[in-house]
Amino acid sequence: MKRVWAATTIAAMMVGASVAGVSSAYADVVKFGIIMPFSGPFAVLGKQAKEAVEAFQKLNGKTVNGHEIQVIWRDEGAGDAAKTRQFAEELILREKVNVLGGFALTPDALAVAEVISEAQTPTVILNAATSIIPRKSPYFIRISMTAAQYISPLGGWATKNGVKTAYTMVSDYGPGIDMEGEFTSSFERGGGKVVGKDRVPLNVTDFAPYMERALQSKADALFIFAPGGAPSVAMVREFERRGLKQAGMKLMGSGEMQEIFLPSFGDSVLGAISSNHYTESNQRPENIAFRKALNDSTGREAVPDIVAVAAWDGMQLVYATVKSLGPKFTGDQAIDFMKKQTINSPRGPVSFDPKERDIIQNVYVREVRKVDGKVINVDIATVEQVRDPWKDNNPNAK
Amino acid sequence: MTQFLTILLDGTSYGMVLFIISVGLTVTMGLMRVVNLAHGAFAMIGGYIATVLVLKLGVPFLLATVLAAIAAGILGGLAEITVYRPLYRKGELPQVLLTIGLCFVAIAALTFFVGPTPLPAIVPAWLDQMVDIGFRLYPAYRLFLIVVGGLLAFIVWLIIERSLFGARLRAAVDDPQMARSVGMDVSRMFTITFVGGCALAGFGGAVGAGVLPLEPFYALRYLVYFLIVVAVGGMGSFRGSLVAALAIGIIDTAGRYTVPQFGGFLLYLLVFALLLWRPNGLLPPKSVA
Repeated sequence: MKRVWAATTIAAMMVGASVAGVSSAYADVVKFGIIMPFSGPFAVLGKQAKEAVEAFQKLNGKTVNGHEIQVIWRDEGAGDAAKTRQFAEELILREKVNVLGGFALTPDALAVAEVISEAQTPTVILNAATSIIPRKSPYFIRISMTAAQYISPLGGWATKNGVKTAYTMVSDYGPGIDMEGEFTSSFERGGGKVVGKDRVPLNVTDFAPYMERALQSKADALFIFAPGGAPSVAMVREFERRGLKQAGMKLMGSGEMQEIFLPSFGDSVLGAISSNHYTESNQRPENIAFRKALNDSTGREAVPDIVAVAAWDGMQLVYATVKSLGPKFTGDQAIDFMKKQTINSPRGPVSFDPKERDIIQNVYVREVRKVDGKVINVDIATVEQVRDPWKDNNPNAK
Repeated sequence: MTQFLTILLDGTSYGMVLFIISVGLTVTMGLMRVVNLAHGAFAMIGGYIATVLVLKLGVPFLLATVLAAIAAGILGGLAEITVYRPLYRKGELPQVLLTIGLCFVAIAALTFFVGPTPLPAIVPAWLDQMVDIGFRLYPAYRLFLIVVGGLLAFIVWLIIERSLFGARLRAAVDDPQMARSVGMDVSRMFTITFVGGCALAGFGGAVGAGVLPLEPFYALRYLVYFLIVVAVGGMGSFRGSLVAALAIGIIDTAGRYTVPQFGGFLLYLLVFALLLWRPNGLLPPKSVA
């Protein structure tokens, strides 16, 4: 009796295995491993990315031509390059992901460059914004933005709109210093003058003394940059509370004025100018569909940010790749295919610089306004198809 | 002169927030020698409760901060009885591990239930404006912080220096063994102090949200400042913590205003020098002096 049972079990297992084997020949699983922060100070980025990916899969299905697209998440934490590298290795070796992606922070993206080069794994950068990253591995492609790219139109816009002097206040780290440099050079090219600058340590939360210095400078405008979240919110709040607006200063920035942060501020943020590659309230059909999908999927009035839109477009890129190349592709094939794509993104048309594998997109100058009782960003100027200016200024930097 | 006064006001208001939050920590650390790294979490929870009360239920700002203090106090009491009490006889390492773990639990819980984005400010309109203080326009909110902080410092001073409970508390901080042997119920005293400290922290988190913005990482982000207040002031010293908090607020503000390029570490340099000079803080209680 026991033997019969054992035999049937083995037979059943063999049948099961062969069925599984047969089915995999027709329908493969394509794995997309994403490393984003779900804990720590940048947890909001992971949440935004995940909601966008889930909404995308709800709308478009989890399969492409019968091949299942499986997304595997790992927690980047508060930014830990060693851990991120370890996750990348684990995803590539154990999970055998076909595509890797994510990375909120530059050091974490840089940390996986070697790994993906060795494994030849195509890797889609969903946030990290330092210009040099894609040059660190031929398997990187970026679908987010570079800091220099999305700030580049702001200085020129300011000089054309009556701003003659500016004070700059940036967080004292890589992207902050890039921002300060890019804004200053474009502002001075247009004839403006930077009358003072502050670099604020990242751990600072009380911005009173810096705002006081800016107020005393009597500049026409204050240009700010701080990483999105608590630091940027505290910066803008102090600008409001200290009455810099009443003193006639215009607030200018970038990601600080994203729609998700606007409810944190009072009405004095109205009129603030920012430069960004995605305006949450734009009326493109792609954006309306995107926001509807997000609302349906999350069951609430979700406000997407730049990470959500990057994750959404990242999914478009992966789906398009599987549609054209099938479930099996090499890293070179995938990157070759991806960098030739043009995507109708919720932010506007998106393409890639094939040589640099970096994104080319519109950048919008927006003003914070109250429309129908809601505080949102409204586009007031558009610069089309902006390349990363840093790459052109530093053609040989590695 | 105007600049000097501005720095003084900015620094004092900032220091007052640090004082309100940290005073409970200094007393409990001095009294029971428990390294409570989760203190910032109680301030954070207080701030979250007040924000939810104001934004979702329309409770007036001042009432919300008081309710937040009460809620944080009750939570603190529960935590003291269930989690902290078994810790008193353990070494410092288990205390550090457990309390930092509580911090992570609080961070994860708030991220999960409320979300990871910073909370909107709940400073009401009557505070969120500029007032003329003679030599310049100045944010009313910061003046309010100075007044509230001063008032609370006075009340805490009354309790600690002028009441029987305070006398016992000081005695227990100075020499817990002696206090026990003359029949004082030190552990009950500790529960009461712990509740009071957590309530103050919750109040500080709520009222100071305009200076220390609320987000789930709050519990760890500002912990360093709270611990500096305790270390510089001297563990268990009420007066020390007031002096330390104000000094930190003013020095930090002045440093960032006058020499912003050193702003980030001027404070730490001074703390470093001061602790080399007086390892037990500015005004340590007698037991450690």
